[in-house]
Amino acid sequence: MMIGLRLFISSAVFAIAIAIAYWLVAHEIVGTFLLGFMACALIFVAGYMIVAESEANLHGDRDDAKVSDGAGELVGTFTTRSPLPIWTALAVTCIGLGLVISPTLAGLGAIAVLVLGAFYIVQSR
Amino acid sequence: MSAAAAPVAAPPRNDLLGWITSTDHKRIGILYLTTSLGYFFIAGALALVIRTQLAHPNATVVSAHAYAQLFTLHGTAMIFLFVAPFALGLANFLIPLQIGAPDMAFPRLNALSYWLFLFGGLVIFAGAATNEGAAATGWTAYAPLSAIKVSTGLGQDMWIIGVFLVSVATILTSINFITTVFIYRAPGMTMWRIPIFTWEMVATSLLVFMAFPALAADLLLLFVDRHLGGHAFDPAHGGNAILWQHLFWFFGHPEVYVMILPYFGVISEIIPVFSRKPIFGYTGLVISAFAIAGLSMGVWAHHMFTTGAVNNPFFSFVSFLIAVPTGVKFFNWIATMWRGSISFQTPMLFSIGFLMNFLLGGITGVMVASPPIDFQAQDSYFVVAHMHYVLGGGSLFAIFAALFFWWPKMFGVKLYEGLGTWCFWLLFVGFNVTFFPMHLLGLEGMPRRVFTYADQGQLPALNMIATLGSYVMLAGVLVFAWNVVASTLKREPVGADPWRANSLEWWTTSPPPEHNFDTLPAIRSERPVFDAHHPDVAARTPR
Amino acid sequence: MPDPYPARVRAKTGYEADVHGQTWPATATTQSSVLASDWLLFTLVGLAVALLVWGLILFAIVRWRRPHGDAGDEYPPQFRDNNALEIAWTVVPLIVVIGLFVYTYRAEADVEAMVPKPDVTIAVNGFRWGWTFAYDGGPTINGAERNPPEMVIPLGETTRIVLTSSDVNHAFWVPDFLFKRDAIPGRTSSFDLRPSKLGTFLGHCAEFCGLDHALMNFSVRVVPPDAYARWRRGASS
Repeated sequence: MMIGLRLFISSAVFAIAIAIAYWLVAHEIVGTFLLGFMACALIFVAGYMIVAESEANLHGDRDDAKVSDGAGELVGTFTTRSPLPIWTALAVTCIGLGLVISPTLAGLGAIAVLVLGAFYIVQSR
Repeated sequence: MSAAAAPVAAPPRNDLLGWITSTDHKRIGILYLTTSLGYFFIAGALALVIRTQLAHPNATVVSAHAYAQLFTLHGTAMIFLFVAPFALGLANFLIPLQIGAPDMAFPRLNALSYWLFLFGGLVIFAGAATNEGAAATGWTAYAPLSAIKVSTGLGQDMWIIGVFLVSVATILTSINFITTVFIYRAPGMTMWRIPIFTWEMVATSLLVFMAFPALAADLLLLFVDRHLGGHAFDPAHGGNAILWQHLFWFFGHPEVYVMILPYFGVISEIIPVFSRKPIFGYTGLVISAFAIAGLSMGVWAHHMFTTGAVNNPFFSFVSFLIAVPTGVKFFNWIATMWRGSISFQTPMLFSIGFLMNFLLGGITGVMVASPPIDFQAQDSYFVVAHMHYVLGGGSLFAIFAALFFWWPKMFGVKLYEGLGTWCFWLLFVGFNVTFFPMHLLGLEGMPRRVFTYADQGQLPALNMIATLGSYVMLAGVLVFAWNVVASTLKREPVGADPWRANSLEWWTTSPPPEHNFDTLPAIRSERPVFDAHHPDVAARTPR
Repeated sequence: MPDPYPARVRAKTGYEADVHGQTWPATATTQSSVLASDWLLFTLVGLAVALLVWGLILFAIVRWRRPHGDAGDEYPPQFRDNNALEIAWTVVPLIVVIGLFVYTYRAEADVEAMVPKPDVTIAVNGFRWGWTFAYDGGPTINGAERNPPEMVIPLGETTRIVLTSSDVNHAFWVPDFLFKRDAIPGRTSSFDLRPSKLGTFLGHCAEFCGLDHALMNFSVRVVPPDAYARWRRGASS
């Protein structure tokens, strides 16, 4: 089993255990919910890893792998530059500021985020 | 994706446009480091004004309202905009290099996180330009103090928005880090061979993933209370004032471990190099990182011991337990130095300073984990001393150690050793002179977040000593700034491995090319570069 | 050396007679003797740990420092593991902290113990920026920023404080009692004080509550029971 999966599973088990222990000791609802939701988040990721990544067979996980084993493979497209991140951050900031200063600004920011989102998808193709 | 010839990237632009459109983890890392250091200088300046106001009782350097904004912005900037982002920036630069990857898993998301961080910080500070000034409720913004009826100004809302943006940025970065470390390790770089710094960043990322959403929820609730007719924290309408504290500290306590685990990683990289031995107890260091991370999710209400509203023994017990894995780390670091061959270049000086300072901070931490002690110490200068010993004496010293250690790799020049030694001693002496007296101030009954205090007992003398120490710290920081300027002007180039170090980043050039590596050595341990450069010593190292 | 469980002993024999006179460890209430003992134990354990670990660090960097610079290619024995040692330095600290926890648990129980029928009950209300002390069946003392109110309580008897706030979070802190409790709007929090020393003790608000937080002070004056009775009659009229 991938070590990353083991990490998420053991963290989830710990979270469940401490949520139960907390409820039994303290009978306090807010903390119990927080710990319980934390367990859910970890289970969610562990579940994904079990279902979708169980066939992952990485060179990086083999003790005796030679560096040349990974040569020539196309691992993916790494963008080296893109103007989208700064514009997206600006648009999100406008939404945030707009919520407290001006609804128009928030609206413009929201539209910008949607448009930029489309560009992200196009750029990834 | 076609199987035709792999696309070749155009060479990186070196102008402003190149930097603001870059998705290269190294550039993003450097942007994070520079920006967070900028926020550090601002937050440090605010601290000097605070210390100047507190030098004398009943001083009138600043008004009570200005003072409240000062300590709010100081805490917010140091925590949200400096200590944590500096670690994220360092990790951004190092993680792909340390695991032999060409970049992070999600480069554009990486860049987005940086810009959200920058803009979030600017929004927080922009509050100072509003009618009623910046947020003035402390970095903890307790409800109902932060409710709209009490904190009527726009500054508090700008704080909420800014911190929310920074939180989103941090969560996105943690996802990037975990994915990258899980998926993009070079052949032979098994999880049990990645450097301790990278392991600590995995633990930190897990913590961010579990804790920051609670803060985001808390901020949303506060926003709804303030502007959309909510009453989550308003007891007069069925709300609960303590709810803020539960949600905040559920985030807040893991946040302090987010601010120290990366620096435990930094120390774990530096001590072996300058002791000429491998890191002692690699497995113990990894397990203790996750033990600390896990346990830290269960201690949040030790910040609420004096409310009388939480089960003190539960939180006290788990808080005590955290001392055990932390102690394991300390003993591992000492064992690394034990019977080694130790030299005292600046990174090692700062690492030793870290050990000395953080130990005291850790011990006072165990003290305040005892509720009876906390009944006196909470919200007094004793706790201010504790937090600054772990964050200032600990994280800050590790930050300087990291700067001196990895500066050559990032920029291709070495910072001067002589100036570095001055910087260390000024900071070490200045830090301890500033913050040790605060233990005594707390015991004498000085509360925290006060703009003045009575002229009685030892309060004036101890405060004056602390203020003088802070000016010595300023001198240390100025020496560092001068070191940067002077060494950059002189530009003496360095090779790939100026320190005779261990991990993969020291294999490639200084600074690395955009794609990081032209070649890679065989990876058979957690110090592949050392193994490649010293095969005879590697052969006699136990596996 | 203070007795670790003075409350249990003193329930039979009365309050502490000797007076230290300095701020720490102050023992102005029977609870604060327990608190002071807690402080002392943790300080001593902390000091011992600090001296041990600082000592090990300083010893290592002096004993094994490289004579000059980083020239030369000598590498010392490259050991990296020692299972026995690693187990030892996990188990021993674990035992120490469990011991500290057991002590702390009992000390807290002692400090927070409340009697079934207190001699005096005072409803304390914190507000921006002062305090109101409303004696049960007695006078109400009001205070504000530049007029800190004074709470008068009898020596050797149990005063119950019922604490709340009418606006934001505050905290009722008397450093000489080594004790504070938060005043939170929407809830009351109760605790007992059993003063063991005569005198006037300063109190501060210890939860940031806005502009004049630093000026939100008060005092607690402990007087003999007959003087308290006289004061109460006089203040009520």
